[in-house]
Amino acid sequence: MIEFDNVTRTYGPKPAVTDLSLRIPRGELFALLGPNGAGKTTTIKMLVGLLRPSRGAVRICGHDLVKETRAAHLHTGYVPDEPTLYDKLTGREFLWFIADMFGLPRSLAAEKIGREIDHFELADCADDLAESYSLGMRQRLVFAAALLHDPDVLVLDEPMVGLDPRTVRIVKDLLKARTRAGMTVFMSTHTLAMAEELADRVGIMVRGQLRFLGTVAELRDQVATESTSLENLYLEITTLQPVAASDTPVVRATGAI
Amino acid sequence: MNGMNGMNGISTSSSHEESCHLIAVEAESRVFSGLRAAIAWQTLRSMLAEARLRLALVVLLSAVFWGLLYGLFFEAFSFLDSIHAEVISLLFNAFFSSLMVMLVFSTGILLYGNMYCSPETRLLLTLPVRAEAIFAHKFIDAMWFSSWGFILLGSPMLVAYGIVRGAPWTYYLLLLPFMVSFALIPASVGGILCMAVVAWLGRLRMHALAMLVAVAAAGAVWLGWSLLGSAVAGGVTTEWFDTVITRLSIAEQKFLPSWWLSSGLMEAARWRVQPEARFASLSEAVKFLAVLVSNGLLLYLLAWRLARSSYRLGFSQLVGEMPARRQRRIAWFDEALSAAGTARGRPMRLLLVKDLRLFRRDIAQWSQFAIFFGLLGLYFFNLRSFNYNLVYASMISFMNLAVAGLILSTFTTRFVYPMISLEGRRFWILGLLPVHRDQIVWSKFLFSFIGGLLPCCGLLCLSDSMLGISLGLVGVHEICGVVLCMGLSGIAVGLGAWMPDLREPSPAKIAAGFGGTLCLVLSSLFIVAVVTVAAVPTYLTMFSEVFGGKSPSPTGIFGWASGPLGTATSLLIVGVIGTIATFVPLQLGLRAFRRLEP
Repeated sequence: MIEFDNVTRTYGPKPAVTDLSLRIPRGELFALLGPNGAGKTTTIKMLVGLLRPSRGAVRICGHDLVKETRAAHLHTGYVPDEPTLYDKLTGREFLWFIADMFGLPRSLAAEKIGREIDHFELADCADDLAESYSLGMRQRLVFAAALLHDPDVLVLDEPMVGLDPRTVRIVKDLLKARTRAGMTVFMSTHTLAMAEELADRVGIMVRGQLRFLGTVAELRDQVATESTSLENLYLEITTLQPVAASDTPVVRATGAI
Repeated sequence: MNGMNGMNGISTSSSHEESCHLIAVEAESRVFSGLRAAIAWQTLRSMLAEARLRLALVVLLSAVFWGLLYGLFFEAFSFLDSIHAEVISLLFNAFFSSLMVMLVFSTGILLYGNMYCSPETRLLLTLPVRAEAIFAHKFIDAMWFSSWGFILLGSPMLVAYGIVRGAPWTYYLLLLPFMVSFALIPASVGGILCMAVVAWLGRLRMHALAMLVAVAAAGAVWLGWSLLGSAVAGGVTTEWFDTVITRLSIAEQKFLPSWWLSSGLMEAARWRVQPEARFASLSEAVKFLAVLVSNGLLLYLLAWRLARSSYRLGFSQLVGEMPARRQRRIAWFDEALSAAGTARGRPMRLLLVKDLRLFRRDIAQWSQFAIFFGLLGLYFFNLRSFNYNLVYASMISFMNLAVAGLILSTFTTRFVYPMISLEGRRFWILGLLPVHRDQIVWSKFLFSFIGGLLPCCGLLCLSDSMLGISLGLVGVHEICGVVLCMGLSGIAVGLGAWMPDLREPSPAKIAAGFGGTLCLVLSSLFIVAVVTVAAVPTYLTMFSEVFGGKSPSPTGIFGWASGPLGTATSLLIVGVIGTIATFVPLQLGLRAFRRLEP
């Protein structure tokens, strides 16, 4: 579903992501962790086509994000860290706009808009202008828009920011149900507890390089520490002193890369 | 959980393939048209519901402004039509060609902001939509924002021309298509330049822009110098006039869209000819319109194709740029301003320093400021090329006063008016500071007032010294300059605080909105009022000289008005107008800003 094939992205002379190779199969929820400036946002931007790799290729459902951008986007839903809406559109009008852009037939679009409004409990405000929405409501609407066309791949950048505990629960349950149904989720987050709860595999990125790739259990096995909390394991990995670039201690725990 | 009730509707990959698909380009266009229509409708509804008075005021004042312009152009065309009809073509060509250059720049700059820096495009670029469709969507926005001034200023001029020339109804019917098709050409060129510069010049784009501006400025300087620098020593004579006409004819190039527009409009307005020639004129006009439309569409098509190949590439390069590291340079002026004065006034000074730093670091602001006032300075500097008698000199000096005010008003509308609105997203910082909200508004006013004072009064000094006018009149102009700076700052800051748009991040869009339009209209009316009142004693003196024979000391109302008492009275009225223009909007703004709940 998602493939990063030897992807490198530089900002001027500075590498932001270096030689990233990663495959995330259908139905997997993958969480990308890492400290600020590790390259997570750059990776996400390449995955949604806002940024082109300097080297290598990113593919979604076999479609190259540079050469077949629209085809790749057709399979993708994206929830950015800062929700962007049209302030002078109502929530329902925004969902119709997204449905039209994805070419959903009118009757099916109406059905799915109703479904997402119901999922995210937006019925009370769906016909209000988005300018009156709180951050949480905006985030819920963006979630609804991203899931409207039942994407094969859902990309989430810090998805829980601004959401209340009830909505967080709704989103978590929804992600579990969708991944069971075959959707692939790529999530960047700082919320370790959520990654631990939801992710099938986690990747830990440090200074543009993938330091660890595997399940949380495998992380526990491979990092020599007395504590078993993901927080301590994460801190252990991210504070490892880098050695020579060729010897970077990447721990690849599973064979899925 | 209620929110989970609909989970049965989850689709699999195969049903995804069946349900959604890539849409055709026509469908994309329809979706974007629907989006714009929905936004326009909701915006209009909001305005009608929440700001009816404001809307009515803006419409009324715009109508007054339009009427004044119409009257001015009507008189000018009537005069020219009676003695120098052939000059009108020349003026049209000169006006439309300079407008074309300005539209290229303004559309290019607006498109840069709309296509590469707006959150909306970050959303659209992640949807399965063609890059060229996003370009087309943003192009319509940019074209509208850059051309509305052309419509507002151009329509009274062209309607007045039609009335003076006794044009048939077809002329008025063709006006809008002519204007829109003309605006399409520079807008498309601006779009092409914008995308090409971003995609292929990368970090050099600022240098490229600076070079383009320098070339345009050099062209303007060369033209100004060739027109005025070689002026004959004997003043404005027939020979000089012929020279100017010859030089201005550079704008009458048949390959320029401005020529197609001028020629088309003049053909369309031709009615005082033999009936059989009327149809020929109309055919010519339609032919010119067809040339404009076809060239406009061709250039738009080129821009559209360029967007397909380069928009995503350019966006990626721009997003991937490392922000340039700015070395911290201690600006001695900032430090001195922060430290000077009493501790009580320090918060205000710190706000001023902050605004000053933002101004210095925003190339769009200071470059436009420098270009506008630089060109004006250049023009004033060339005034010595002519020899004037006292009457002409004083007339020109008041016109220069009005021009300086108008340029300052464009600056206050474009950059000062949006200042309060732009604080919206940072309101949590200002709101938590131990400063009164009034101080924020007053600091903006002081920033604008002090910032405008030096260039405005300096240029008026230059103008008066070049014209060689009396010291007393210099004093009058300087007082008017101070009043203009104060009033224009009061209008811009007051209205900005009265009707802030805290959600809009683009200053250009804030200035182009209703509040900005109102600010521009009120500023123009204020300038007209101040200059008219200040000029009354001088013109009464002129009248007294004309109608009072050779008597050296006019008597009666002329004598009173042209004497020191008349000057003092006019300055007093100027002061009253300035006080009203400064403090009424400021009071409205302060009151609204105190109550503002961001």
